[in-house]
Amino acid sequence: MSEPVLRTENLTKRFGGLIAVNNLNLSIPSGRLHAIIGPNGAGKTTFFNLVSGLLAADSGRVFFKGRDITGLKPHEVSRLGIKRTMQIKSVFPQLTVAENLWVTRHATNQTLHPFRSAARDPETRERVELTLEQIGLRALAHRSAGTLSYGDIALLEMGMALISDPQLLLLDEPTCGMSPAETERAVEKIKQLTRKIDIVIIEHDMSVVFEIAEDITVMTQGEILASGSPDEISGDERVREAYLGRPEDEDYVEEVAHA
Amino acid sequence: MDTLLLLALNGLIWGLIIALIALGLSIIFGLLDIINIAHGDFFMVGTVMAWFTLELTGNFWAAFLVVPLIGFILGALIQRIVIQPIRNVAALTIVATFGLSLILQESVRITFGTTPRRILPPIQATFPVFGINYELYRLFAALVAIVALAGFFVFLHRTKLGTWMRAVRHDRETAIAMGVPAQRVYVLTFGIGFALAALGGVVAAPITTVEFRTGVDILPFCFMAVIIGGLGNLPGTAAAAVLLAFLEGIIQSFADPTIARISSLVLMSAVLLVRPQGLFKGLAK
Amino acid sequence: MITPHIISRAMLIAFVAFLIAAPWLIPAILNGFWVSVIAEIMIWSLFAASVNLLFGYVGLLSFGQALYFGFGMYGVAIGIATLGLSFWPAFGLGVFAAVAIALLSGIFAVRLTWHYFAIITVVFSLIFYFLAVSVKPLTGGDDGINFTLPPVFSIGDVTGSFSDANFQYFFILATVSLCFFLMHRVIQSPLGKALVAIRDNDVRAALIGLNVYQLRLIAFVMAGFLAGVSGALFAFFGRYASASYMFYHVSGEAVVWAIVGGVGTLFGPIVGTTLFIVIRELVSTHWEHHALIVGVMAILVVILAPKGLVGLWNEGLVRWCARAEATSARTDLQTEP
Repeated sequence: MSEPVLRTENLTKRFGGLIAVNNLNLSIPSGRLHAIIGPNGAGKTTFFNLVSGLLAADSGRVFFKGRDITGLKPHEVSRLGIKRTMQIKSVFPQLTVAENLWVTRHATNQTLHPFRSAARDPETRERVELTLEQIGLRALAHRSAGTLSYGDIALLEMGMALISDPQLLLLDEPTCGMSPAETERAVEKIKQLTRKIDIVIIEHDMSVVFEIAEDITVMTQGEILASGSPDEISGDERVREAYLGRPEDEDYVEEVAHA
Repeated sequence: MDTLLLLALNGLIWGLIIALIALGLSIIFGLLDIINIAHGDFFMVGTVMAWFTLELTGNFWAAFLVVPLIGFILGALIQRIVIQPIRNVAALTIVATFGLSLILQESVRITFGTTPRRILPPIQATFPVFGINYELYRLFAALVAIVALAGFFVFLHRTKLGTWMRAVRHDRETAIAMGVPAQRVYVLTFGIGFALAALGGVVAAPITTVEFRTGVDILPFCFMAVIIGGLGNLPGTAAAAVLLAFLEGIIQSFADPTIARISSLVLMSAVLLVRPQGLFKGLAK
Repeated sequence: MITPHIISRAMLIAFVAFLIAAPWLIPAILNGFWVSVIAEIMIWSLFAASVNLLFGYVGLLSFGQALYFGFGMYGVAIGIATLGLSFWPAFGLGVFAAVAIALLSGIFAVRLTWHYFAIITVVFSLIFYFLAVSVKPLTGGDDGINFTLPPVFSIGDVTGSFSDANFQYFFILATVSLCFFLMHRVIQSPLGKALVAIRDNDVRAALIGLNVYQLRLIAFVMAGFLAGVSGALFAFFGRYASASYMFYHVSGEAVVWAIVGGVGTLFGPIVGTTLFIVIRELVSTHWEHHALIVGVMAILVVILAPKGLVGLWNEGLVRWCARAEATSARTDLQTEP
């Protein structure tokens, strides 16, 4: 069996008296889109924060393709190829759409030349053009990112994730706040990406989860409740109780799982 | 030995006065997120107003009542007119308070003039303390400062307004959600901050020179007390003020006062870098 | 079609032409005295630009740039008066000293969040102010030291020296222009864009792989360089150095100039500095309380026009061009058969 792309060993994080992530032992295999679901406060975003270096673990370790990345700073984790998006979509509002992509590409290549004009580098220019096509924001290339609609910001975020040639993509609620049309577009993009890149997503929208996830992990109160294929999860009693709790929702899960 | 004792006592008493001023700075910084560059000038205006009160009424004691009151009103007005419109852009508030500082200094220059003046202490006697004859007024000043400090803490903990202030300082969003009128608290805070500094000015006026530059000297010291004591830690700030002034007073007896000042500043940098919550964590609520 | 870009370009050319012609133009219209005022304005604009670089493009408000100005100034003054250096080594010493102390203090300062960053920049500048005052034999304290200026160069019979007012003017113009040009290039470069990204959203910047601490430090050192150059020029200009120029008052004024002029714009510092120094020169002969005007204007701008004069101008320009565009489009439609 090949090395899991992401693995944690007894990962723990406390905030004062609250245990946000409790001795988490998670193993995510390469090549399959993995979704993490769970009620609010389950520790999903904290988990992402620990992996991407925004938070320091109290104990435990994180391994990326076999390499111990525990305690690395966010930019160091990013340079290893792990890119993530945030729950609240955020880009660089004072830069244009194109400049957001430029800056990301330069950050990846670590070519921050102080005097050459930012727009001159041919290799980067090509990639930026390509990415603009891929996310469909060509027309808005010179608009200030701060003026974009929420859905477009999400697309830009995804474009920034793409242009940096990630090896592992952590998407935190990628469809949060999107209209049905925007959600569809985003889901399509994610499906395309998953052929080339390992992706882990946190999602609340069950229809999205059951449409694209190949493996699902359910977290609650900082621990793993259940882990398995979509069918296994939708049939799991404990999941229904912990996550949903009401008969009406059970039917909903049934419906969505077999849609 | 006598000089050392004298300087130590002077330092201690100055520390109490500065504690008063620094508390004003601390609540403005802690509640409103404002680095108030004009705060030293609030103190200076207090000394000048004390002088004017003496000139106009012949009675220095009146200043103890009148000046803090005027200071409170000025502070409230400044908050409403200058601070409130720009409350959300924190960096601009520094520029505004810097502008305020210039305005206060120049206004005093225009009305009061540039010549430093002195006020004779209203109590002229001396009192034997530890074997030296110590100015009675300074002891009185210490008493006033202590009473004012105590009064301030009582206000903070026993009155509705004081509790509101503590709530907003602790957790702004929750306080607002619970119905605390934040806007009024801000005005109150700035007013009290000015009043405290102005009171410090009145108390200090007879033992320092009255001129437009005294604010500039006192400002770094107040910030030191706030940072070393710990932002948001009011008792800590008061304690730090007393301690720093006391230490500087002692050091002055055998070293250049500038060296004392530099060491305090270096200590302050160290605290900022290593332990930004201040040295007196234990005293915080 | 008239775009804001074309108008800005035209104005830049006119401005540069004016500056080059000034030593002959101004005495003809006004008074030779104003030429040296312009030279002084250029020096202080560079200082205001150092504040602007940090605040406008990186989001860090430094209230202590006078420290690096002071090191540049004293590097030159002590270099010439005490060490007997000639012009260029003294210049080098001043700039080097400023950059070195900027690096040293930046390593610590840049770690702090903005409130504490602003405070510690003042604290650092105060520490060195007091040091400068106490080491009076070396620095002259608040009274300062005077010195005579060695020539800038001597090739054969030709000597260039600051004692020639025109030479002095053009040397300052050249140096300041070069610095502004470098700043412009950096702002347009990948480094400059990365700095803006950090200012906008430092968490996101870290997540895309930018080393936020390192980049902020680089910006801090660059700003220290600019302040140091302006300090060195100041020493050359006045043949004088004094600790009083290291006091936080000086830093604060530069912040006001930068903000009134327009934070985050290349020309903001120039406009702001010009405005305040001209006001100072005009007012101080009749009324000594011009600092009052500075204070009032600072507050008014901050409340009413936080983008500053150049910011307002840019916005107005964009709107005017858009309207001109719309009007001409309409007239085109009307003239269609």
